[in-house]
Amino acid sequence: MRILIVEDDLEAAEAMDRGLTEGGHACVRAADGEEGLKAARDGEFDVMIVDRMMPKMDGVTLVETIRREGDQTPVLFLSALGEINDRVTGLQAGGDDYLVKPYAFAELSARVQALSRRRETGSVQTLLRVGELEMDLIGRSVCRQGKEIDLQPREFQLLEFMMRHAGQSVTRTMLLEKVWEYHFDPQTNVIDVHVSRLRSKIDKGFDRAMLLTVRGAGYRLEP
Amino acid sequence: MSPGMRLPRLFRTTPFRLTLLFLALFGAAASAFLAYIYVATAGEATRRTDQEITREMNSLVAAYERAGVDAVNQSLIERAASERPFLYLLMKSDGTRISGSIAESPLEDINAVPARASFSVTDFDVEGRPIKHPARGFQEHLRGGEILFVGADVSEDQAYVGKIVNALRGAGTLVVVLGLMGGVLVSRNVSRSMAGLTDVVTAVRNGDLGARAPVRGTRDEFDELAEGLNEMLDRLERSMAGHRHAGDAIAHDLRSPLTRLRARLEVAYLDVEAGKGDPEQALGQALEDTDGVLKTFGAVLAIARLQAAGSAPDQVLFDPAQLAADIAELYEPLCEDAGLDFQAEMAEGLQARGNQEFLAQALANLLDNAVKYTPSGGAIMLRVRRRSSGEIEFSITDTGPGVPEEDRPRVVERFVRLENSRSQPGAGLGLSLVGAVAEAHGGRLELAEGPGKVGEIGPGLRVALILPRAG
Repeated sequence: MRILIVEDDLEAAEAMDRGLTEGGHACVRAADGEEGLKAARDGEFDVMIVDRMMPKMDGVTLVETIRREGDQTPVLFLSALGEINDRVTGLQAGGDDYLVKPYAFAELSARVQALSRRRETGSVQTLLRVGELEMDLIGRSVCRQGKEIDLQPREFQLLEFMMRHAGQSVTRTMLLEKVWEYHFDPQTNVIDVHVSRLRSKIDKGFDRAMLLTVRGAGYRLEP
Repeated sequence: MSPGMRLPRLFRTTPFRLTLLFLALFGAAASAFLAYIYVATAGEATRRTDQEITREMNSLVAAYERAGVDAVNQSLIERAASERPFLYLLMKSDGTRISGSIAESPLEDINAVPARASFSVTDFDVEGRPIKHPARGFQEHLRGGEILFVGADVSEDQAYVGKIVNALRGAGTLVVVLGLMGGVLVSRNVSRSMAGLTDVVTAVRNGDLGARAPVRGTRDEFDELAEGLNEMLDRLERSMAGHRHAGDAIAHDLRSPLTRLRARLEVAYLDVEAGKGDPEQALGQALEDTDGVLKTFGAVLAIARLQAAGSAPDQVLFDPAQLAADIAELYEPLCEDAGLDFQAEMAEGLQARGNQEFLAQALANLLDNAVKYTPSGGAIMLRVRRRSSGEIEFSITDTGPGVPEEDRPRVVERFVRLENSRSQPGAGLGLSLVGAVAEAHGGRLELAEGPGKVGEIGPGLRVALILPRAG
């Protein structure tokens, strides 16, 4: 993937660049809003990572500008402002996801992956298929190897999210945000319990586990 | 204008100026009214006297026409004896007196037409002193060439008019004096009320946020203004104190975990240097510790922001049962895995106002605590109901060890962890955040004993987050 990093904190940009490059992506860096806007206009990117507060042009203005110009590249906002209001402002400006600083690299990487996948699945799907798993979004049913699996509504949503991001790591925070729509950090492992319930339903009795735990990151659904 | 040349303060006040304006308008109206009264009364008296003189003249002229000069003379003699005599003078055509009660014609030109005159007659009081009486009258030429003058003493009329003029003058003076006094009183009253408010504004401008306007208990608009001002200052003061406090708190709260982190890194560094420790493990530990500090920082910041803001942002009307049900759904499997019986009881059709994200986080913190401290085999109950006062109550009851009554106020403070809870993870910020969320909604947190002690279990803890009645 080609990733544009617009971040005025050079050390943070360097760390991101290194991590993402090691993960097999090609990164372009811009150190302020104006430079970022120029880079966004000049090049084709799969994902842009944009810091909110930068010299010359802030991230919100940058994203508003490229959206007005018709550029639909997925944008991940980075910000030290974590209030709900700030999040809403960022998303309204055209951001696709919002990550509050400081963040773990695993979190950033998982979210960048999730955003890139989002663009590929532009058309509306009614059937999701990941390996042996099949999900009928209209009939609200799931089966593996043709065997129907009975899921609670929230487990269904959880699995749907995992299937849409199959093969990618998803973090606990991402699950809490995207499936439950909470933006706080529980002190207990509530998400783990939900995931392990889902896992026991989709993996139990089959020869291979599909829902894997990724150490230090979260979970991954393997086809 | 130099200060010395200025009008006294009172005369510069708006109420006094309004009073003057009002007085001018009212004075003009009163003048017109008084002028009308003057014309209607004094003018009327003069007119009536003139009419009476005319009637007398006509009757004398009629007598003359009928029976000549002698009859007129006879009439004059009779009439001079009456109670309120007219003044008469009958003259020959050359002006020489024939008879009458006055010596000579008050008119300089006896041939003048119209021949009206205002004059005075001299009378003598009981002690023989001369008194001048005002009089008026007119003359007519009789057919035989004689001239008849008839007049009347108008001193009573004049006295009457004088009284009226005096009364009107008094009324006018009274209007002005009372109006001014009223104006001064109102202005002084308003000025005094305003002075209290102005003093407060001045004091606050000079940096004294503790100044408050006096409320006199008269329930008038000045009291309302004073109360409004005081309330505004209260909020401002709380907010300022909150901000100051937040800064201090963050500095204080972060110093200890950072100190701990630094110490650990130092030890790890020395260990690795001495070849005793595993660098990878030390770095992993450092990362974990840093995450812990960041978590603490996040919680402290959230609490500080809530406390500084005074009230939670983005408050909307919502269904508290729905909010609690969503959180219950998130925590139920966790409870089950921990061997706890989880029950939820929600009242239907309630409405509350608040920031749902903060409230959800508060409930999550309470459930985190309940799960952490309740031993396996216990129970947790989440309840939403409306109190009879109209307040909305979220309560979480567990069958854990509870919190001794004397420690309950303390556990809401930041970083307070009771002795027997030290083995559990956490920084002791959970309840503080819940308390801050409650306060930011104008609500409160109540801690009580749970279901009671049964054998080894209990007595449990019941934490209630209470929101004020919506709307």
